[in-house]
Amino acid sequence: MSAIHHPGEDLLWDYFRGALAPGLRLSVSTHLDLCPQCRDDLRVFTAIGGALLETTEGVAMSDNALDLALARIERPVDLPEVSDAPAPARRPAFLEGFELPPSLQSAEIRGRYFVAPGVWMAPIALPGEPRAAKTYLMCVKAGMEMPEHTHRGREITVMLQGQYRDHKGLYQRGDFTQCDEADDRHMPVMMGDVDCLCLVAQEAAIIPKTWLGWLLKPIARI
Amino acid sequence: MHFDRALTIGSSVRMISPDSKNCAETPEALITRIAGTRDRAAYATLFTRFAPRIKAFVMGQGMTAQEAEDLAQEALLNVWRKAHMFDASKASAVTWIYSIARNLRIDAARKAKRVRELPEDLWQGDGDKAADEQIVDTQSAQIIKKMLDALPPEQKDILRLSFYEDLSQSDIAKTLSIPLGTVKSRLRLAMTRLRTAMDGKSTGVKS
Repeated sequence: MSAIHHPGEDLLWDYFRGALAPGLRLSVSTHLDLCPQCRDDLRVFTAIGGALLETTEGVAMSDNALDLALARIERPVDLPEVSDAPAPARRPAFLEGFELPPSLQSAEIRGRYFVAPGVWMAPIALPGEPRAAKTYLMCVKAGMEMPEHTHRGREITVMLQGQYRDHKGLYQRGDFTQCDEADDRHMPVMMGDVDCLCLVAQEAAIIPKTWLGWLLKPIARI
Repeated sequence: MHFDRALTIGSSVRMISPDSKNCAETPEALITRIAGTRDRAAYATLFTRFAPRIKAFVMGQGMTAQEAEDLAQEALLNVWRKAHMFDASKASAVTWIYSIARNLRIDAARKAKRVRELPEDLWQGDGDKAADEQIVDTQSAQIIKKMLDALPPEQKDILRLSFYEDLSQSDIAKTLSIPLGTVKSRLRLAMTRLRTAMDGKSTGVKS
Protein backbone atom coordinates (compact mmCIF):
# COMPACT_ATOMS: atom_id res chain seq x y z
CA MET A 1 0.00 0.00 0.00
CA SER A 2 1.56 3.28 -1.00
CA ALA A 3 0.51 6.86 -0.55
CA ILE A 4 -1.91 8.41 -3.03
CA HIS A 5 -1.81 12.01 -1.76
CA HIS A 6 1.54 13.67 -2.34
CA PRO A 7 3.21 17.03 -1.77
CA GLY A 8 3.19 19.21 -4.89
CA GLU A 9 6.32 19.59 -6.99
CA ASP A 10 6.78 23.10 -5.58
CA LEU A 11 7.05 21.76 -2.04
CA LEU A 12 9.29 18.87 -3.11
CA TRP A 13 11.50 21.33 -4.92
CA ASP A 14 11.81 23.57 -1.86
CA TYR A 15 12.62 20.47 0.20
CA PHE A 16 15.28 19.42 -2.29
CA ARG A 17 16.96 22.81 -2.28
CA GLY A 18 16.87 22.92 1.52
CA ALA A 19 14.54 25.90 1.74
CA LEU A 20 11.79 24.53 3.99
CA ALA A 21 11.34 25.50 7.64
CA PRO A 22 12.07 22.60 10.02
CA GLY A 23 8.44 21.51 10.54
CA LEU A 24 7.61 21.38 6.84
CA ARG A 25 10.95 19.70 6.17
CA LEU A 26 10.16 16.95 8.69
CA SER A 27 6.71 16.44 7.13
CA VAL A 28 8.10 16.07 3.64
CA SER A 29 10.90 13.76 4.77
CA THR A 30 8.35 11.63 6.69
CA HIS A 31 6.25 11.35 3.54
CA LEU A 32 9.38 10.47 1.54
CA ASP A 33 10.15 7.63 3.95
CA LEU A 34 6.75 6.18 3.08
CA CYS A 35 6.47 7.09 -0.61
CA PRO A 36 8.66 5.48 -3.29
CA GLN A 37 7.07 7.66 -5.96
CA CYS A 38 8.18 10.94 -4.40
CA ARG A 39 11.61 9.45 -3.71
CA ASP A 40 11.73 8.87 -7.46
CA ASP A 41 10.92 12.54 -8.01
CA LEU A 42 13.89 13.49 -5.84
CA ARG A 43 16.02 11.08 -7.82
CA VAL A 44 14.90 12.89 -10.98
CA PHE A 45 15.90 16.22 -9.37
CA THR A 46 19.28 14.74 -8.49
CA ALA A 47 19.76 13.43 -12.02
CA ILE A 48 18.85 16.83 -13.49
CA GLY A 49 21.32 18.49 -11.13
CA GLY A 50 24.02 16.03 -12.14
CA ALA A 51 23.36 16.54 -15.84
CA LEU A 52 23.45 20.33 -15.43
CA LEU A 53 26.65 20.16 -13.37
CA GLU A 54 28.26 18.06 -16.06
CA THR A 55 27.47 20.61 -18.77
CA THR A 56 28.28 23.69 -16.69
CA GLU A 57 31.22 25.74 -17.80
CA GLY A 58 33.50 26.01 -14.79
CA VAL A 59 34.83 29.07 -13.01
CA ALA A 60 38.62 28.99 -12.54
CA MET A 61 39.77 27.85 -9.12
CA SER A 62 42.59 29.85 -7.56
CA ASP A 63 46.15 29.00 -8.64
CA ASN A 64 47.07 26.88 -5.64
CA ALA A 65 43.74 25.05 -5.44
CA LEU A 66 44.99 21.70 -6.75
CA ASP A 67 48.09 21.80 -4.50
CA LEU A 68 45.86 22.54 -1.54
CA ALA A 69 43.50 19.72 -2.50
CA LEU A 70 46.38 17.25 -2.83
CA ALA A 71 47.78 18.38 0.53
CA ARG A 72 44.45 18.07 2.27
CA ILE A 73 43.97 14.42 1.34
CA GLU A 74 47.31 13.59 3.01
CA ARG A 75 46.23 15.03 6.33
CA PRO A 76 44.80 12.58 8.81
CA VAL A 77 41.12 13.03 9.42
CA ASP A 78 41.26 14.87 12.74
CA LEU A 79 37.54 15.05 13.37
CA PRO A 80 35.71 11.77 13.66
CA GLU A 81 33.41 11.30 10.70
CA VAL A 82 29.97 12.54 11.61
CA SER A 83 27.96 9.39 12.03
CA ASP A 84 25.30 8.97 9.38
CA ALA A 85 23.02 7.21 11.81
CA PRO A 86 20.99 9.70 13.83
CA ALA A 87 21.38 9.52 17.58
CA PRO A 88 18.89 7.12 19.10
CA ALA A 89 16.10 9.25 20.52
CA ARG A 90 14.40 8.52 23.79
CA ARG A 91 11.14 7.01 22.78
CA PRO A 92 8.23 7.90 25.05
CA ALA A 93 6.22 4.98 26.39
CA PHE A 94 2.99 6.25 24.86
CA LEU A 95 4.44 5.58 21.40
CA GLU A 96 4.84 1.85 22.04
CA GLY A 97 3.06 -0.15 19.37
CA PHE A 98 3.25 2.58 16.72
CA GLU A 99 5.46 2.01 13.72
CA LEU A 100 7.33 5.27 13.21
CA PRO A 101 9.20 5.99 9.95
CA PRO A 102 12.97 6.71 10.19
CA SER A 103 12.47 10.48 9.96
CA LEU A 104 10.61 10.41 13.29
CA GLN A 105 12.79 7.88 15.06
CA SER A 106 15.46 10.53 15.51
CA ALA A 107 12.99 13.32 16.35
CA GLU A 108 12.75 14.70 19.87
CA ILE A 109 9.17 13.90 20.80
CA ARG A 110 7.99 15.57 24.02
CA GLY A 111 5.34 14.43 26.49
CA ARG A 112 1.78 14.06 25.28
CA TYR A 113 -1.28 15.87 26.56
CA PHE A 114 -4.96 15.26 25.96
CA VAL A 115 -6.87 17.98 24.13
CA ALA A 116 -10.19 16.11 24.14
CA PRO A 117 -11.35 12.67 25.28
CA GLY A 118 -9.43 10.11 23.20
CA VAL A 119 -7.34 12.77 21.46
CA TRP A 120 -3.74 13.52 22.42
CA MET A 121 -1.00 15.68 21.01
CA ALA A 122 2.76 15.33 21.51
CA PRO A 123 4.90 18.32 20.44
CA ILE A 124 8.10 17.70 18.52
CA ALA A 125 11.08 19.92 19.34
CA LEU A 126 12.91 21.01 16.20
CA PRO A 127 16.11 23.07 16.25
CA GLY A 128 15.68 26.34 14.40
CA GLU A 129 11.91 26.23 14.23
CA PRO A 130 10.26 29.67 14.35
CA ARG A 131 8.62 30.27 17.71
CA ALA A 132 5.04 30.48 16.46
CA ALA A 133 5.28 27.35 14.30
CA LYS A 134 4.07 24.07 15.78
CA THR A 135 4.94 20.51 14.90
CA TYR A 136 3.38 17.60 16.75
CA LEU A 137 2.08 14.08 16.62
CA MET A 138 -1.66 13.77 17.03
CA CYS A 139 -3.52 10.62 17.89
CA VAL A 140 -7.28 10.16 17.69
CA LYS A 141 -8.63 6.99 19.24
CA ALA A 142 -10.65 4.78 16.94
CA GLY A 143 -14.33 5.70 17.01
CA MET A 144 -13.69 9.22 18.37
CA GLU A 145 -14.57 12.42 16.55
CA MET A 146 -11.93 14.74 15.25
CA PRO A 147 -12.04 17.89 17.42
CA GLU A 148 -13.35 21.01 15.74
CA HIS A 149 -10.49 23.16 14.57
CA THR A 150 -9.55 26.05 12.34
CA HIS A 151 -6.50 26.49 10.17
CA ARG A 152 -4.22 29.43 10.74
CA GLY A 153 -1.73 29.55 7.91
CA ARG A 154 -0.45 26.49 6.12
CA GLU A 155 -0.95 23.21 7.92
CA ILE A 156 0.43 19.89 6.77
CA THR A 157 -0.66 16.45 7.87
CA VAL A 158 1.09 13.16 7.16
CA MET A 159 -0.85 10.04 8.09
CA LEU A 160 1.12 7.44 10.02
CA GLN A 161 -1.59 5.01 11.05
CA GLY A 162 -5.33 4.56 10.59
CA GLN A 163 -7.45 6.32 8.02
CA TYR A 164 -9.80 9.23 7.51
CA ARG A 165 -11.86 10.64 4.70
CA ASP A 166 -12.57 14.21 3.64
CA HIS A 167 -13.79 15.98 0.49
CA LYS A 168 -10.54 15.09 -1.28
CA GLY A 169 -10.72 11.38 -0.61
CA LEU A 170 -9.37 8.70 1.69
CA TYR A 171 -6.13 9.21 3.62
CA GLN A 172 -3.96 6.37 4.86
CA ARG A 173 -0.38 5.72 6.01
CA GLY A 174 1.98 7.97 4.09
CA ASP A 175 -0.65 10.29 2.67
CA PHE A 176 0.25 13.95 2.68
CA THR A 177 -2.22 16.79 2.83
CA GLN A 178 -1.95 20.55 2.97
CA CYS A 179 -4.65 22.88 4.29
CA ASP A 180 -4.89 26.62 4.74
CA GLU A 181 -7.47 29.21 5.80
CA ALA A 182 -9.31 28.74 2.51
CA ASP A 183 -10.05 25.11 3.34
CA ASP A 184 -13.20 25.68 5.35
CA ARG A 185 -14.64 22.51 3.89
CA HIS A 186 -12.07 20.47 5.76
CA MET A 187 -14.23 18.08 7.78
CA PRO A 188 -12.22 14.92 8.28
CA VAL A 189 -14.12 11.78 9.27
CA MET A 190 -12.18 8.99 10.99
CA MET A 191 -12.61 5.58 9.42
CA GLY A 192 -12.09 2.01 10.59
CA ASP A 193 -11.27 0.64 14.02
CA VAL A 194 -7.59 1.52 14.27
CA ASP A 195 -6.34 4.57 16.20
CA CYS A 196 -5.31 7.41 13.90
CA LEU A 197 -1.81 8.76 14.30
CA CYS A 198 -0.54 11.64 12.21
CA LEU A 199 2.24 14.17 12.04
CA VAL A 200 1.01 17.77 11.87
CA ALA A 201 3.12 20.79 11.00
CA GLN A 202 1.66 24.27 11.30
CA GLU A 203 3.46 27.24 9.88
CA ALA A 204 3.78 30.30 12.05
CA ALA A 205 0.53 32.24 12.26
CA ILE A 206 0.67 35.79 11.02
CA ILE A 207 1.32 38.14 13.90
CA PRO A 208 -0.42 41.51 13.69
CA LYS A 209 1.98 44.42 13.44
CA THR A 210 -0.26 47.31 14.51
CA TRP A 211 -1.81 48.25 17.84
CA LEU A 212 -5.22 47.81 16.27
CA GLY A 213 -4.17 44.35 15.17
CA TRP A 214 -3.14 43.45 18.72
CA LEU A 215 -6.44 44.73 20.06
CA LEU A 216 -8.37 42.70 17.52
CA LYS A 217 -6.23 39.60 17.98
CA PRO A 218 -8.42 37.82 20.54
CA ILE A 219 -11.54 38.58 18.51
CA ALA A 220 -10.07 37.48 15.21
CA ARG A 221 -8.55 34.39 16.88
CA ILE A 222 -5.29 34.92 15.04
CA MET B 1 48.41 23.81 -13.41
CA HIS B 2 45.59 23.51 -15.86
CA PHE B 3 41.86 23.82 -15.51
CA ASP B 4 39.71 22.88 -18.45
CA ARG B 5 38.08 25.84 -20.12
CA ALA B 6 37.83 27.85 -16.97
CA LEU B 7 37.28 31.16 -18.67
CA THR B 8 34.00 32.59 -17.51
CA ILE B 9 33.52 36.28 -17.06
CA GLY B 10 30.70 37.24 -14.74
CA SER B 11 28.72 34.77 -12.73
CA SER B 12 26.33 33.57 -15.40
CA VAL B 13 26.50 29.84 -15.88
CA ARG B 14 26.68 28.77 -19.47
CA MET B 15 26.33 25.45 -21.16
CA ILE B 16 29.13 23.92 -23.14
CA SER B 17 28.60 21.46 -25.91
CA PRO B 18 29.22 17.84 -24.91
CA ASP B 19 31.95 17.27 -27.48
CA SER B 20 34.18 19.95 -25.94
CA LYS B 21 34.60 17.84 -22.82
CA ASN B 22 37.79 15.94 -22.24
CA CYS B 23 36.42 12.59 -21.17
CA ALA B 24 39.39 10.31 -21.53
CA GLU B 25 38.33 8.44 -18.46
CA THR B 26 34.86 8.29 -16.91
CA PRO B 27 34.42 9.81 -13.45
CA GLU B 28 33.12 6.40 -12.35
CA ALA B 29 36.48 4.84 -13.26
CA LEU B 30 38.40 7.63 -11.51
CA ILE B 31 36.46 7.23 -8.27
CA THR B 32 36.91 3.47 -8.41
CA ARG B 33 40.66 3.97 -8.75
CA ILE B 34 40.65 6.33 -5.77
CA ALA B 35 38.76 3.77 -3.71
CA GLY B 36 40.98 0.91 -4.81
CA THR B 37 44.50 2.32 -4.62
CA ARG B 38 44.11 5.85 -3.22
CA ASP B 39 45.22 7.00 -6.66
CA ARG B 40 46.37 10.65 -6.38
CA ALA B 41 46.58 11.18 -10.13
CA ALA B 42 42.96 10.06 -10.50
CA TYR B 43 42.03 12.49 -7.74
CA ALA B 44 43.86 15.35 -9.47
CA THR B 45 42.02 14.61 -12.72
CA LEU B 46 38.67 14.46 -10.97
CA PHE B 47 39.42 17.66 -9.07
CA THR B 48 40.44 19.50 -12.21
CA ARG B 49 37.33 18.36 -13.98
CA PHE B 50 34.74 19.00 -11.26
CA ALA B 51 35.95 21.65 -8.80
CA PRO B 52 35.58 24.56 -11.29
CA ARG B 53 32.11 23.34 -12.23
CA ILE B 54 30.97 23.04 -8.64
CA LYS B 55 32.38 26.50 -7.99
CA ALA B 56 30.45 27.93 -10.95
CA PHE B 57 27.29 26.12 -9.93
CA VAL B 58 27.13 27.39 -6.35
CA MET B 59 28.24 30.89 -7.36
CA GLY B 60 25.19 30.99 -9.60
CA GLN B 61 23.15 30.13 -6.51
CA GLY B 62 24.44 33.18 -4.69
CA MET B 63 27.67 32.13 -2.98
CA THR B 64 30.68 34.43 -3.13
CA ALA B 65 33.71 33.27 -5.15
CA GLN B 66 35.59 32.44 -1.92
CA GLU B 67 32.70 30.51 -0.37
CA ALA B 68 32.19 28.67 -3.64
CA GLU B 69 35.88 27.81 -3.87
CA ASP B 70 35.87 26.47 -0.30
CA LEU B 71 32.74 24.44 -1.00
CA ALA B 72 34.26 22.95 -4.15
CA GLN B 73 37.38 21.97 -2.14
CA GLU B 74 35.23 20.42 0.58
CA ALA B 75 33.07 18.54 -1.93
CA LEU B 76 36.05 16.91 -3.64
CA LEU B 77 37.62 16.10 -0.27
CA ASN B 78 34.38 14.30 0.55
CA VAL B 79 34.65 12.40 -2.73
CA TRP B 80 38.16 11.28 -1.69
CA ARG B 81 37.04 10.21 1.77
CA LYS B 82 33.82 8.52 0.69
CA ALA B 83 35.14 6.92 -2.50
CA HIS B 84 34.91 3.46 -0.92
CA MET B 85 31.16 3.99 -0.49
CA PHE B 86 30.67 4.67 -4.20
CA ASP B 87 29.42 1.72 -6.22
CA ALA B 88 30.10 2.29 -9.90
CA SER B 89 27.79 -0.58 -10.85
CA LYS B 90 24.86 1.16 -9.16
CA ALA B 91 25.43 4.90 -9.23
CA SER B 92 26.26 7.64 -11.68
CA ALA B 93 29.38 9.50 -10.48
CA VAL B 94 28.29 12.93 -11.60
CA THR B 95 24.95 12.73 -9.76
CA TRP B 96 26.80 11.41 -6.70
CA ILE B 97 29.21 14.35 -6.80
CA TYR B 98 26.31 16.72 -7.37
CA SER B 99 24.53 15.32 -4.29
CA ILE B 100 27.61 15.80 -2.14
CA ALA B 101 27.94 19.42 -3.27
CA ARG B 102 24.24 20.07 -2.82
CA ASN B 103 24.23 18.73 0.73
CA LEU B 104 27.27 20.82 1.64
CA ARG B 105 25.59 23.93 0.29
CA ILE B 106 22.39 23.29 2.24
CA ASP B 107 24.37 22.61 5.42
CA ALA B 108 26.37 25.81 4.96
CA ALA B 109 23.21 27.86 4.46
CA ARG B 110 21.51 26.38 7.51
CA LYS B 111 24.55 26.76 9.70
CA ALA B 112 24.91 30.41 8.73
CA LYS B 113 21.25 30.98 9.53
CA ARG B 114 21.48 29.25 12.91
CA VAL B 115 24.65 31.01 13.94
CA ARG B 116 22.79 34.26 13.39
CA GLU B 117 19.75 33.13 15.35
CA LEU B 118 20.97 30.73 17.97
CA PRO B 119 24.04 30.19 20.14
CA GLU B 120 26.32 27.77 18.38
CA ASP B 121 26.08 25.04 21.00
CA LEU B 122 22.41 24.65 20.25
CA TRP B 123 23.20 23.76 16.70
CA GLN B 124 22.86 20.13 15.77
CA GLY B 125 22.26 18.08 12.67
CA ASP B 126 18.67 17.19 12.03
CA GLY B 127 18.90 13.81 10.41
CA ASP B 128 18.05 14.76 6.85
CA LYS B 129 18.38 12.32 4.03
CA ALA B 130 21.99 11.42 3.38
CA ALA B 131 23.27 12.02 -0.13
CA ASP B 132 23.57 8.36 -0.93
CA GLU B 133 19.87 7.76 -0.38
CA GLN B 134 19.21 9.43 -3.69
CA ILE B 135 21.38 7.19 -5.77
CA VAL B 136 20.82 7.53 -9.49
CA ASP B 137 22.13 4.74 -11.67
CA THR B 138 24.24 5.52 -14.73
CA GLN B 139 21.54 4.50 -17.16
CA SER B 140 18.89 6.74 -15.56
CA ALA B 141 21.37 9.62 -15.47
CA GLN B 142 21.97 9.18 -19.20
CA ILE B 143 18.24 9.05 -19.93
CA ILE B 144 17.58 12.23 -17.96
CA LYS B 145 20.46 14.01 -19.64
CA LYS B 146 19.15 13.10 -23.07
CA MET B 147 15.56 13.97 -22.15
CA LEU B 148 16.60 17.37 -20.78
CA ASP B 149 17.82 18.36 -24.22
CA ALA B 150 14.52 17.28 -25.74
CA LEU B 151 12.30 19.30 -23.39
CA PRO B 152 10.44 22.31 -24.82
CA PRO B 153 12.43 25.53 -24.18
CA GLU B 154 9.87 26.96 -21.76
CA GLN B 155 10.15 23.87 -19.54
CA LYS B 156 13.92 23.91 -19.79
CA ASP B 157 13.96 27.55 -18.68
CA ILE B 158 12.06 26.67 -15.52
CA LEU B 159 14.55 23.93 -14.70
CA ARG B 160 17.54 26.17 -15.41
CA LEU B 161 16.23 28.91 -13.13
CA SER B 162 15.42 26.32 -10.49
CA PHE B 163 18.82 24.67 -10.44
CA TYR B 164 21.24 27.38 -11.54
CA GLU B 165 19.69 30.26 -9.62
CA ASP B 166 18.20 28.23 -6.77
CA LEU B 167 14.83 29.97 -7.05
CA SER B 168 11.48 28.97 -5.58
CA GLN B 169 8.59 28.67 -7.99
CA SER B 170 7.11 32.01 -6.96
CA ASP B 171 10.48 33.70 -7.55
CA ILE B 172 10.66 32.09 -10.98
CA ALA B 173 7.19 33.44 -11.75
CA LYS B 174 8.37 36.95 -10.79
CA THR B 175 11.59 36.63 -12.78
CA LEU B 176 9.79 35.53 -15.93
CA SER B 177 6.71 37.72 -15.31
CA ILE B 178 4.37 34.78 -15.75
CA PRO B 179 1.66 33.48 -13.40
CA LEU B 180 2.72 31.06 -10.65
CA GLY B 181 0.26 28.51 -12.01
CA THR B 182 2.13 28.49 -15.31
CA VAL B 183 5.44 27.82 -13.56
CA LYS B 184 3.84 24.99 -11.60
CA SER B 185 2.30 23.38 -14.65
CA ARG B 186 5.52 23.65 -16.67
CA LEU B 187 7.57 22.04 -13.91
CA ARG B 188 4.91 19.38 -13.53
CA LEU B 189 4.97 18.62 -17.26
CA ALA B 190 8.75 18.45 -17.28
CA MET B 191 8.87 16.23 -14.19
CA THR B 192 6.18 13.90 -15.53
CA ARG B 193 8.08 13.48 -18.75
CA LEU B 194 11.43 12.89 -17.03
CA ARG B 195 9.96 10.58 -14.40
CA THR B 196 8.13 8.57 -17.02
CA ALA B 197 11.30 8.29 -19.06
CA MET B 198 13.23 7.15 -16.00
CA ASP B 199 10.92 4.45 -14.75
CA GLY B 200 7.58 4.81 -16.48
CA LYS B 201 5.29 5.10 -13.49
CA SER B 202 3.17 8.04 -12.46
CA THR B 203 -0.10 7.96 -10.60
CA GLY B 204 -1.64 9.86 -7.73
CA VAL B 205 -2.92 13.23 -6.69
CA LYS B 206 -0.69 16.24 -6.04
CA SER B 207 -2.04 18.42 -3.25
